[in-house]
Amino acid sequence: MVGRPSPQVPAPSGKGSAPTMITFEHVTMRYAKGDPPALRDIDLEIGRGEFAFVVGASGSGKSTLMRLIILEREATQGRVIVAGHDLSTLPNRKIPVLRRKIGIVFQDFRLLAGKTVYQNVAYVLQVLGARRHTIKQLVPETLELVGLEDKAKRLPHELSGGEQQRVAIARAMVNKPPILLADEPTGNLDPQISEEIVAILDRINRTGTTVVMATHDTTIVNKFRKRVIQLRDGVVVRDEDRGEYDALEVEAVHTP
Amino acid sequence: MRVGFILGEVVNGLRRNAGMVVSVVLVTMVSLVFLGMGLLAQRQVDTLKGYWYDRVQVSIFLCTPDTTDVASCAGGAVTEAQREQLASELDSLKPLVQEYWYESNDEAYQRFREQFRNSPVLDNIPQESIPESFRVQLSDPTKYEVVASAFEGAPGVESVEDQREVVDKLFTFLNAVSISAVALAAAMVVCAVLLISTTIRLTAWSRRRETNIMRLVGASAFTIHIPFIVETLLAVVVGAGLAIALLWAMVHYGITGFLTELLAGQGGMVGLIGPGDLWMVVPFLVGGAVLLAVVTSWLALIRHVRV
Repeated sequence: MVGRPSPQVPAPSGKGSAPTMITFEHVTMRYAKGDPPALRDIDLEIGRGEFAFVVGASGSGKSTLMRLIILEREATQGRVIVAGHDLSTLPNRKIPVLRRKIGIVFQDFRLLAGKTVYQNVAYVLQVLGARRHTIKQLVPETLELVGLEDKAKRLPHELSGGEQQRVAIARAMVNKPPILLADEPTGNLDPQISEEIVAILDRINRTGTTVVMATHDTTIVNKFRKRVIQLRDGVVVRDEDRGEYDALEVEAVHTP
Repeated sequence: MRVGFILGEVVNGLRRNAGMVVSVVLVTMVSLVFLGMGLLAQRQVDTLKGYWYDRVQVSIFLCTPDTTDVASCAGGAVTEAQREQLASELDSLKPLVQEYWYESNDEAYQRFREQFRNSPVLDNIPQESIPESFRVQLSDPTKYEVVASAFEGAPGVESVEDQREVVDKLFTFLNAVSISAVALAAAMVVCAVLLISTTIRLTAWSRRRETNIMRLVGASAFTIHIPFIVETLLAVVVGAGLAIALLWAMVHYGITGFLTELLAGQGGMVGLIGPGDLWMVVPFLVGGAVLLAVVTSWLALIRHVRV
């Protein structure tokens, strides 16, 4: 059983004294010329060690926000600063350096089907050129963090959805990045498993990792009471600490 | 560690794409065989030129009793006096005429019989219709005209032949072989380039999950690209190896083994290329192939594998 969520403990907030980890300065993002912007004039600061939910309906700009952070896309206007890198001026060859500071988890897990749990997690370190003994030490350690130490030799298809997502989290965290992005990590999971997954993210957050999770799961957001950044049509419509997320507001997006 | 990991990725990629890899190997092999043939034909031309230009002579054929239709032979067969006159004129042309010797009707007939020993025409040619001749070696084979103009139409001379012309025909033929082989090689290289980039595109597609994860966790472009490049290089080097083996077999069995022996009976034509010439060509083949593989895969990677 993973750690029980404890809504009483306030999440460390980035606002105020804590140094910021992710900054958006007047960021507008258009996928193609003439398209309506996916994000407009976003101003945002997420502090080191903070846990933030980015909420909003499909198409509200959550994923775009994530893409800008990992520099999968470049902002059309404005500046994005992540872990001290100004992404608008980051040369291409420095992109890997940025991405090593960010772990990322997706709704569809994206595990390598032919590799075991252990190999999936070790893959990251191999790709980054880690030494064998570092891998031998870090991989079991990380699997323990997500509670999968007993399933190291399983293949992804032998695992449940929740377990697969935990492997994905282990993979994202194995090189100890200071930032963890989770793009709808519970989208394919049932409520109880979703809660377990977010509890793991919460635990990771407590060790000092900045966590940004995009979701439209109101139950989760209301349960964990973290900072909530709500997007609607590419605009931040709400940003509050220990916020709630009203499902009706999501519906409102679809009925103008 | 890192090398082991990259090799593991390479083996995986090769296994997953075996069909395409085999086709890259074969296309590389065929294009390099053509290229090698072109280069070897060129070397053959050079070798023969050196050999023949040393030996090829101008032949001054003298009149026979049958050649009365030629103006300078109106008097019938060449006379003793005419022959001596010609010899002294040849002497006067030194040093351009480096050397000359006289081939009598008997000698000429023997040589003719030897050359055409398997031909049915032999029996129909009477000995007296084989002309006696002066064989002239020039110090500068390109100054053939000087000799030709001096002896063409002289009394007792039936005709003057520059045998370099005969050899030059052979060179023209070999050059044509060389050029067509290189042209075919060029077409095959285009094939190879397209095939390699298609292969990389397919490999990239079949490996997109891995590549995507590599990108997201911050692998360098080098780490992402190197398995593709190593795979292509391996395929191309194997192809080059096969091509060289094939060319060696052609040279060893075809030229050194067969052709030399065949020609040895025909008055000993030597100056053919051997395996040594192949080794001179090999570095170009391998170097070209490696360059092709690296440049093509690099370009394909820029297009098909985003970092």
